[in-house]
Amino acid sequence: MHAASEPTETMMAGQIPLPVPSKMTEPFWAGMRQNKLLLQRCKTCNAYRWTPQVLCRDCYSEDYEWSEVSGKGTVFSYTVVHRPPLPAFKAPYIVAVIELAEGPLMLTNVIDCDPAALKVGDKVKVAFEKATDEVTLYRFRLA
Amino acid sequence: MTAKRDVAIVGIHATPQRRRMGKTVIGLMMESLNGSLDDAGLQMSDVDALIAYDFPAGNGEGATDGNVAWQLKQPINFVWQQSGASAVLTGAALIRDGLAEVVVIPAAGAQATDTEATAAYTRPGYEFTEWTGSITPAQFALQARRHMHLYGSTVDDFAYAASTIRNNAHINPEAMMFSRGPYTPADILKARMVADPLTLLMCSLTNDGASCIVLTSAERARYCRKAPVWVLGGAMESRKTSYLEAPSLDIINSRDKMMRGFERLGVRHEDTDMVMIYDHFAHSVQVQMEALGFCKPGEGGAYIREVMGLDQKHPVCPDGGNQGYSHNMIPYNFKIIEIVKQMRNEIIDLCPQSAEGIHTYDRSICRKVRDPKLSVACGPMTEGRHSFVLLEKN
Ligand SMILES: [Zn+2]
Repeated sequence: MHAASEPTETMMAGQIPLPVPSKMTEPFWAGMRQNKLLLQRCKTCNAYRWTPQVLCRDCYSEDYEWSEVSGKGTVFSYTVVHRPPLPAFKAPYIVAVIELAEGPLMLTNVIDCDPAALKVGDKVKVAFEKATDEVTLYRFRLA
Repeated sequence: MTAKRDVAIVGIHATPQRRRMGKTVIGLMMESLNGSLDDAGLQMSDVDALIAYDFPAGNGEGATDGNVAWQLKQPINFVWQQSGASAVLTGAALIRDGLAEVVVIPAAGAQATDTEATAAYTRPGYEFTEWTGSITPAQFALQARRHMHLYGSTVDDFAYAASTIRNNAHINPEAMMFSRGPYTPADILKARMVADPLTLLMCSLTNDGASCIVLTSAERARYCRKAPVWVLGGAMESRKTSYLEAPSLDIINSRDKMMRGFERLGVRHEDTDMVMIYDHFAHSVQVQMEALGFCKPGEGGAYIREVMGLDQKHPVCPDGGNQGYSHNMIPYNFKIIEIVKQMRNEIIDLCPQSAEGIHTYDRSICRKVRDPKLSVACGPMTEGRHSFVLLEKN
């Protein structure tokens, strides 16, 4: 339990902390602004990867492109959070790991869903949520 | 058993564990470091390696070898960022190869004196994590739910584990949750839900405090103040970083590596007694028993009911664990310190003469394990970093 960190610099009162892109991840967030879910795809072996990494995790190639994926997946695991880290998170809410159709696991939220009805294995589809002019977030809805 | 008695734990120390002690991390760390050297009969000038998650000293530029050596005004052979079993295994390897003779492993945590109910460590700050609201209990609820899905574990299992461990804290005067029980599994289930399926009483505490462990060679241990506890060996493996990559129950994938650790030492699981599980959340008891190879994946729920009690085969966390004794942000060392205290017969509980080492074994007041000889300490053992060390009584 040691991944402690300060709240991000963009955090403001009453707002959830929003991501601060790095040089490597800026194309991902640019894709989000156009409602496109992009993953790094290796130009040598075609493997997808998530989270963003400098090298392909399969063949260690440095060459990749940001490639649009289907946005489809299944619920790998989920939890209903009742005690939010900050008041801006409106509890209860669902945090989930989604197994994307392309393979990688993605940490996110499932929205517009009765927590009592959700099951591991349920099919989901990405839902884009514009937070600011710069940041669009990826959450998922039951498909 | 093929393991050698060539590296020993000769010093331990834990400061009081309390909420918001108003002390600095470095102050707590030095208090514990000095306490453990006293316990061993050694001095700072004997120290030639330091392993800690954080040594926030000196010029503020990080716990590098050079910065630590300059701050302590003495040469240091080795500085590394680890804690608990992984640190003990690393320190033992240095000693076995003559690269260090006295290794100290301090760890301390102190919360900022803010008034927020949620500790800073429960707010992972990564770009692809923080905005999802996946606080630490949520990260591990995802692991627990995956285990329920794959292996049929239940919230009743988790409540059983939490109540057993918390009842040990209930009779430990040094524990944060001393005299706060006793708890039934039903009490655990009735507690406020934090991240489904984990209730508040299935989660770790958050408090301040420090700990330190001193290792040395068998030769040097002969001149220390107390009987050595031998570091036989163990196993460690990393697969990802918690809070950065999505939780996936990866700990179960380390099972082969953990089992090979036992095999390499010639130790059978049934030869061991205490198992200090890294009990950060209640489901971790059965999951780690499975990951260590004490039982098969999916058998843990039934298995813990047979073994984890103080009078059963493998007592788990007689100190009260992360859930009842202390979670000072870096609680890994406590898993080792409790084994050393149990083996040295230095256990404080509610037995009238516990300070003199006399115990009643009446489980309403006594948390002393009967004559532990070969015990297992886990940790880090979470979701990505998996390790254990085997310790043997002299
Ligand atoms: Zn590749």
